[in-house]
Amino acid sequence: MQTTIRGLRFWCCTLAGSASLTLLPAISAVAQDDTRVNGFYENATYGREGVGLSKFRNTLQMELEKKAGNVGMFNNVSVNATLRGTYDGVYDLNEDEYGRDAGGPILLQDIASGYVAHGNGVGSPASAIPLPPGNTFGFDTTQNPNEGMIVLGERLHDQANGVAFGVPVQPCDVDSRGCIDDYLDKDMNELRFQEFNDRADFIRELYVDFDLNFDSGNILSTRLGKQQVIWGRTDLFRVLDVINPVDFSRNNIYDELEDIRIPMWILKTDYRMGPTRVSEGLIFDDLNFQVVWNFDQFRPHDIGQCGQPNVILDAGCFFRGMNNLWENGGTVANFAGATPDGGLATDFGPGQIGIRKAHMPDWSLSNTQLGLKMEGVYGDVGFSLNALTYRSQLPSLRGGIPAENAFTGQTDVWPGLIAFDIHFPRVNLVGGSVDYYSQPIDTVFRVETAYTSGEEFANTLRERLYSESDVLRYVIGADKNISIPLLNETQSFLFSGQLFGQHILDHEREQRTYGEAGIPDWEHNWTATLLIKGFYMNGRLSPQIITAHDFRAQATAIAPSVDWLVNNNFRLTLGANFKVGDGAREFDDCRSCNPWHPFTQTPGVAGHQSGESAGLSGYEPLGRFQSGPIGMAQKEDEIQLTARYSF
Amino acid sequence: MTTTKTKSVLRLLIAGCIAGLVSTAPLANEAVITNSFYPYKTETPGFKGLEPGMVINQNNVAQFKEIIDPAFYGFIEKGWTSITVGETTTFDLHPNYVEATRVALGDVALGDQVGEINGWQAGRPFPQEPDANDPRAGEKLAWNYKYGYNWGDSAAIYPFYWKYRDMDSGKVERTIKFNFHFLNYKGRVIQEPTPEITPNPSDLFRAIYVQVLDPADVRNTQLLIHRAADDLKRDNSWLYLGFQRRVRRLATGQVTDAFLGSDLMIEDFEGYNGRISDMDWTYKGTRYMLMPFYNHNDLTLDSETHSDSDGYQVVSFSGQGGCFPNITWQLRKVHEVESVPVDESHPLSKRVHFMDTQTFTIPRTVSYDRKGSLWKTFTIGQAHPDHHLPKNEGTGVSIDDSFSMIDVQASHCTTGQFKGQVDPEMSPPSMFNVQHLRATGS
Repeated sequence: MQTTIRGLRFWCCTLAGSASLTLLPAISAVAQDDTRVNGFYENATYGREGVGLSKFRNTLQMELEKKAGNVGMFNNVSVNATLRGTYDGVYDLNEDEYGRDAGGPILLQDIASGYVAHGNGVGSPASAIPLPPGNTFGFDTTQNPNEGMIVLGERLHDQANGVAFGVPVQPCDVDSRGCIDDYLDKDMNELRFQEFNDRADFIRELYVDFDLNFDSGNILSTRLGKQQVIWGRTDLFRVLDVINPVDFSRNNIYDELEDIRIPMWILKTDYRMGPTRVSEGLIFDDLNFQVVWNFDQFRPHDIGQCGQPNVILDAGCFFRGMNNLWENGGTVANFAGATPDGGLATDFGPGQIGIRKAHMPDWSLSNTQLGLKMEGVYGDVGFSLNALTYRSQLPSLRGGIPAENAFTGQTDVWPGLIAFDIHFPRVNLVGGSVDYYSQPIDTVFRVETAYTSGEEFANTLRERLYSESDVLRYVIGADKNISIPLLNETQSFLFSGQLFGQHILDHEREQRTYGEAGIPDWEHNWTATLLIKGFYMNGRLSPQIITAHDFRAQATAIAPSVDWLVNNNFRLTLGANFKVGDGAREFDDCRSCNPWHPFTQTPGVAGHQSGESAGLSGYEPLGRFQSGPIGMAQKEDEIQLTARYSF
Repeated sequence: MTTTKTKSVLRLLIAGCIAGLVSTAPLANEAVITNSFYPYKTETPGFKGLEPGMVINQNNVAQFKEIIDPAFYGFIEKGWTSITVGETTTFDLHPNYVEATRVALGDVALGDQVGEINGWQAGRPFPQEPDANDPRAGEKLAWNYKYGYNWGDSAAIYPFYWKYRDMDSGKVERTIKFNFHFLNYKGRVIQEPTPEITPNPSDLFRAIYVQVLDPADVRNTQLLIHRAADDLKRDNSWLYLGFQRRVRRLATGQVTDAFLGSDLMIEDFEGYNGRISDMDWTYKGTRYMLMPFYNHNDLTLDSETHSDSDGYQVVSFSGQGGCFPNITWQLRKVHEVESVPVDESHPLSKRVHFMDTQTFTIPRTVSYDRKGSLWKTFTIGQAHPDHHLPKNEGTGVSIDDSFSMIDVQASHCTTGQFKGQVDPEMSPPSMFNVQHLRATGS
């Protein structure tokens, strides 16, 4: 569904009015100690290799706080609001890449003729390949013309005898092809002005805090409103920090989570007990119980819409291309009769393959999300125990939807057919975290772990092409300050290293005729990060370098930057983001899943059964899960300049 | 030459004779207490040519070289600043602290290794006059400082302005506004509960909570430090970063790092903020020196940096680069103590502390780099509580009221302007828990 201007205005006016009324006393009393108004203007200009301008984001953010003190039975009452509006000029200044003029005509690989234009595959009038009578191959090129598109994955890899198809890249009000209602359907203004949308994201936070003090000294602290709730002890990785979804379209995985968490309407209550004697010999230095009820309507991560500069894993492009295939049909490279040497570019009709729709959970009590946390300090150890029931913020593609057999025109559920709906399954998480300071080596260790059930993964061994798996994730981190007098005599450097592990416990993988089939994600994988940060000029000049290495993907990101605080108000940050190592990887693409048996039997596969993959592989679409977010962004090296004026 | 003025020798002789008839030991103990806590009861220090109200500047400083520490003497000699002399006044600590000292007198002893102490519960552990022949005299004075009355049982500096200044141009590069809160878990003598807050599962001696209010880029950064009673144990510290909204446990070994980019190491706070066991302490002698003790309300204050409804204003600064507080200095009895880092990689070769014998604060410290060259000098202005905020009257706390840390090698300084408030309501124990950082963060 496209956002209407009318709807936008309604929300803007209503919520801005509410926030303004709430904080009116605050604004009129800026000088008082109990009132605070802060803000900043920021320009972030990024340039990307081979693309040019990739970001020209201008942000105005206002933070308002009004402390009301004790009100009736409540103590420490305060109201907080953070309002944020951005304009990203990249859609106007580099419209050939990201705006209304993005994309163009495309060619798709074909084993018979090298390359064919979109719309000229098997089943089209231009094709001389005979098809059985009654077939429904082919599509209406007036509905899905060869314009305003890119080839899926073209910035990272060539077609290499694998699956490829066109993906529309223009904003959804310019070109609605492939825009998935309520999920990835941003129009030009929603791309330019990211916060001004149906969910009123320009109200970044708006909440009230209040305490109830008990005679025992214990405190019941509550925060109610649109907010971020942060769990866990690690940087960059979201093992326990999963309550708020994240906007990866802002700067992939590289922005501070503080800036990219999507605040939700949440009730958070902490029962703070302080030092607590539980039993003889068991005394906690600090003990706290927390209940988190996310009663907001579900929101997934913003993974980036194809046509935006940041599309994590390039998944938004895959989805848009697939939805376009379902809605309008389209040409798929190297498909019919495919072997490792390639296949015929094939024109599928609407409703045959692709993504049909996204099932966005409606608001209902059962769709809300609930978390519990026990957190405390025992001696030199800080710890938490966490439990959360929530909906996956990442999409799951479930096959098994009714679709048309292009050979016969029959509509049915076909095993192994690449026709999907998007779901966001319920996930249950239990986990915990620990931190510990080792005095002998003057190092802080942090461990965070989570065990989830209910997550879903692509799986070409299953008829519906997905399966559930329990997952174990953890991060082990260590922080140490190291003095390097040669570089800085007055202040040591912060070294912070982390190792993130992910283990898919119900992983399935089998060797088939042409390669491996099953879950493309690595069964066991680790990513390591290292931050080195220094301080000069009384802390006003701070160089740092962050590196991240995905061991199985063999992909590395290196992000050096220098932060210069010119004065109390003005900050300049010059940075870069480079990737080295491997990029695209191949995996079973389900061209050999034989859904429309016997028509789709794969040449060279003996006794090929219906719905059974032969393991024929290509870069798209499942190799992305092996490349990971670093590998998939190998061609997105950037120079980044950010200037912020705070007031 | 330093002189003293006898008030009533006869009175002392009579008192001594009578006491001797009754009991020698209690009187001796009382003399220890009096000497330690009321050094100006019977005598007022003086120095030839020194008069309250006079100004010591570049022209006449040579005359007073004996009573000014060498680093500050150098500043005056260069014309960077001057000293306005005030009358020596007594800064009586709270009677309960004195009484706690009296009760435990003689019960406290050093352990076998540096950093160990036995028998201390509250009060000044070693009120006796230091003995130059005692090889551990310096260590005892360090303990007196650590267990000093300091900010009392709890207090807040609310707010606290730090300004980073270029000493050559006088430009203020950065202003940071904090709130600091202190809470003693042990050795409490006034605020209930005494002598210890329980439960105290980690056997803490003290906790410090810091919140940054301004500027925006570091706003809501919070720091919590738990200091164990066991001096051999390092602090447990947690940092809440406003831009991360996450509590991070800190490695506390690098106490020689500049704090938030200032000219102060974390180890410099309050004169010395490390472990006793991190230093070798040497007592160098006792003498009268000019020290930054004054009545806050009698000063010409800074009307721009801070204003609030009670009319309180903070100490103003002037002189070279604006690095020197506009305060008055008193001639006071001072112990000179040298601390040499045990760790050979420490950036300092030594500190020379000038401890005020009455309050056991450290109003002046001079630090030397590894080569032995003068590096930094630290001045902490001490304000009398009865001439400060009304709420501080009668608290018996020598109020840290202004500071200046000058890096003479970098020609840079950090100045501090305080609103110190001895008010238990402002620093409840619930503030010193890790969860408080999360609850306060936004």
